[in-house]
Amino acid sequence: MESSKNAESGSCASPRTARISVIKEQAIKTVFFCTAFLAVIVVTFILLFLLRDGYPIFQQVGIIPFLLGSSWAPTAVEPLFGIFPLIVGTLLVTFGAMVFAVPLSIGCAIYISELASPRIKSILKPAIELLAGIPSVVYGFFGLIVLTNFIRVTFDLPTGETWLAASVLLGIMALPTIISVSEDAISAVPREYKEGSLAIGATRWQTISRVIVPAALSGIAAAIILGIGRAVGETMAVMMVAGNSAIIPDPIWNILSPLRTLTGTLGIEMGEVAVGSEHYSALFGVAVVLLVITLIINLSAVAILRYLHEGRTSRPGRKPVIPSYLRESFIRFLEIGILALFIVFLLAATPWYLAALILLTFGAWYFGRHHLSQHQIEIIASGFIITATVIVLAILVIILQDIVINGLPALSWEFLTEPPKDLGRSGGIYPAIIGTLTLVAGAIALALPLGVGAAIYLVEYTREGRVTRIIRTGVDLLNGTPSIVFGLFGFAFIVLFLNTGVSMLAGQITLALMVLPTVIRTTEESLKSISPSLREGSLALGATKWQTISRVVLPPAVPGIVTGAILSIGRAAGETAPIMFTAVVFSSRFLPDSVFDPVMALPYHLFILATNVPGSSANKYGTALVLLLMVVGFYSIAIYVRSHFQNKARG
Amino acid sequence: MSESTIISTQNLNLWYNEKHALQSVSMRIPQNKVTALIGPSGCGKSTLLRCFNRLNDLIDHVKITGEITFDNENIHAPGTDVVYLRKKVGMVFQKPNPFPKSIYENIAYGPRVHGVRDKGELDRIVEQSLRHAAIWDEVKDRLNDSALGLSGGQQQRLCIARTLAVEPEVILMDEPCSALDPIATAKIENLIEMLKEEYTVIIVTHNMQQAARVSDYTGFMYLGKLIECGRTSDIFEHPKEELTENYITGRFG
Ligand SMILES: Nc1ncnc2c1ncn2[C@@H]1O[C@H](COP(=O)(O)OP(=O)(O)OP(=O)(O)O)[C@@H](O)[C@H]1O
Ligand SMILES: [Mg+2]
Repeated sequence: MESSKNAESGSCASPRTARISVIKEQAIKTVFFCTAFLAVIVVTFILLFLLRDGYPIFQQVGIIPFLLGSSWAPTAVEPLFGIFPLIVGTLLVTFGAMVFAVPLSIGCAIYISELASPRIKSILKPAIELLAGIPSVVYGFFGLIVLTNFIRVTFDLPTGETWLAASVLLGIMALPTIISVSEDAISAVPREYKEGSLAIGATRWQTISRVIVPAALSGIAAAIILGIGRAVGETMAVMMVAGNSAIIPDPIWNILSPLRTLTGTLGIEMGEVAVGSEHYSALFGVAVVLLVITLIINLSAVAILRYLHEGRTSRPGRKPVIPSYLRESFIRFLEIGILALFIVFLLAATPWYLAALILLTFGAWYFGRHHLSQHQIEIIASGFIITATVIVLAILVIILQDIVINGLPALSWEFLTEPPKDLGRSGGIYPAIIGTLTLVAGAIALALPLGVGAAIYLVEYTREGRVTRIIRTGVDLLNGTPSIVFGLFGFAFIVLFLNTGVSMLAGQITLALMVLPTVIRTTEESLKSISPSLREGSLALGATKWQTISRVVLPPAVPGIVTGAILSIGRAAGETAPIMFTAVVFSSRFLPDSVFDPVMALPYHLFILATNVPGSSANKYGTALVLLLMVVGFYSIAIYVRSHFQNKARG
Repeated sequence: MSESTIISTQNLNLWYNEKHALQSVSMRIPQNKVTALIGPSGCGKSTLLRCFNRLNDLIDHVKITGEITFDNENIHAPGTDVVYLRKKVGMVFQKPNPFPKSIYENIAYGPRVHGVRDKGELDRIVEQSLRHAAIWDEVKDRLNDSALGLSGGQQQRLCIARTLAVEPEVILMDEPCSALDPIATAKIENLIEMLKEEYTVIIVTHNMQQAARVSDYTGFMYLGKLIECGRTSDIFEHPKEELTENYITGRFG
């Protein structure tokens, strides 16, 4: 039956050619399946290799003493491998970051989706994406120079490298994630709910606070969890501002104490450890713990978002999971808990008069709100929301203007075209620019075909089932893996096991694995947005599956795929942690001869200048600016491509 | 006319961007009667209805000229309290749109936002509204279940109950039965019959029999204009305009 028509030649094909074409279709499908399954394989490999190299420490020290031991002193004469202070450090930093980021993000998300006019929206959304595009080492650099200094002066401390600095910086970095995911969730609330509420005579604020936000609550929760995942997995920025003493703050809420995170430990010590030693193994143990924590966090966010999505598509007869009275008391409990934590934090973190002022305001609000008219409440609420948005924008402006103003004087033709001299204090950054570009080019050349193939398999070749679930989970896990873990994996697997040595190739592969999920996801999105009727139209003409995909489905999906690729390039260009142990050297006069040579890279160059080379201020800022411009440039192109083709598609 | 007028429009024009969706509409809605709006798809019935509670304010690039009065007050006058207007002029939508909350919370939402906090009072309002909307017996044992678990017809009556709970004077209904089966439709029609003792109802419908059955007055719209408006019996039996007659008798595209 299938063999009787062949649309390509327009004539009846013989059974023989038909059989060949069946085989060809099967082969194509198999290739795509392999690309898709790669994500699962990579995740498995990461876990296996970390476990392999971490196993000796679990064996020697024991899992419980390793996790709960109170002292981390790997290089002492009698080394101690207790990572409890590191776990606590990670949790505290993340908690502080959320206290800072959650109110700002939700306020900003509400403003963008409910209050902003279309024009303001079209300015705000790219601004938020810009915030997401700033490389973490640039955040770290800003934190090290500006933020820690500010904290040192304000609180009159010997050093500003503290929990507070790390939390604020991580909070800033988590803002774009939380804002954009919550904004999506809020915008996805059906318009009918809003109209229904307004038609009853509810005010705008009542509608927002009682109908829209509750309806978007699970999406907002997922946004916060994703933000937490981002904060837990972040390495460079934290490491540069947290002070890195492996101690538990005393008292526990002393946010002016330095502390050290799991990721920071890896970033600091991995470069200096002897391969195969106890310490080396302990670091892999740390990576396993880190990976497990982030995987749990990310999987729960993904589960919530997926549940939401399915809930929306299969609506009828859905009952609330939790009875409303239980839910209410749970929410009340949660509110009180968060409030208590917030008060403790406030008292500890700020001078008492400020804390008192804030508490008084809140108290007055809480007890006075029933006496306020709806109109007054509306004004106050909008005030809060707008303030949050302004703060977010102000943060962006402060960071950008600091780097641009201080970086511009350093920029010159020589700076861009000459190798560094005197440990980077003078001379230029030419090899680092070229190094970053080649690293990124190699990474995308590897990730693009694999990622696009995987997405084609997921969207075009299978129904949703067990196999796709496994693959999707693999992709999600890969997406949630902290970049420093990729770095360790790249070191253990590519550099040592495959024996490439510290080389450009190792860096390219590591970066490729890191951006693979981004490519898969964006490609999937753009394939899904193409109407099924196009496919059916082509298949109904007797075209084969592959003909349909390559001639009908892929061409309109190209802008989406290109957007994803450019976003990945931007992300890869700004990353430090994955290449730190696999590909880069700090200073070299020459460009690499082959992919087996190590290279210089902009983010790593900036990191070393900022942390290890005193007195290179102009060149630091110059490097930061070039890196920023490069990454932001890629992001702007991606945003432009996307909006350009979106508008075109809308007509 | 002997009845007092609750809503009236004078020379009402409305544009969506360039599109002139309502053209010099002047009509009067009598109090405590059911007024039906009929006309072919896209003629502006929903648009007109949404003018009465200013729900078109939500749409960007809408321009309105002319006058709409509610209780003899211009609803576009500066300083008009839109929230108060919407409390007094309730609306039931074409597609049932219960909030994703429990049945109880759906009804209690309106009174709550208007400042009722006493639990006993809320319970009373919820029961009374649900009874009034003829759905109490079906849901009284499951008030804490999600409203999304109700059938389409039940959801629509819940939405009517939700509207009643804030004690409006006028209820706007935009094709409230279009998503329902005949039995659910009959229930809603009976309900409208009962409602007009206390409320003014304006209903948009595509169903001629329904308009004839439930309404006292009927307005016929065509391409953004109000062609004819009068007692339902007059419109259906002796239409003055040929267009109206063609539409009612089905001799129409
Ligand atoms: N938000 C909008 N933006 C632009 N044009 C609109 C909008 N809403 C409605 N229109 C246009 O205004 C005209 C009147 O629309 P309206 O929804 O009032 O018609 P209707 O009589 O209710 O039709 P139906 O019986 O199909 O519901 C239509 O031509 C429609 O295309
Ligand atoms: Mg309509």
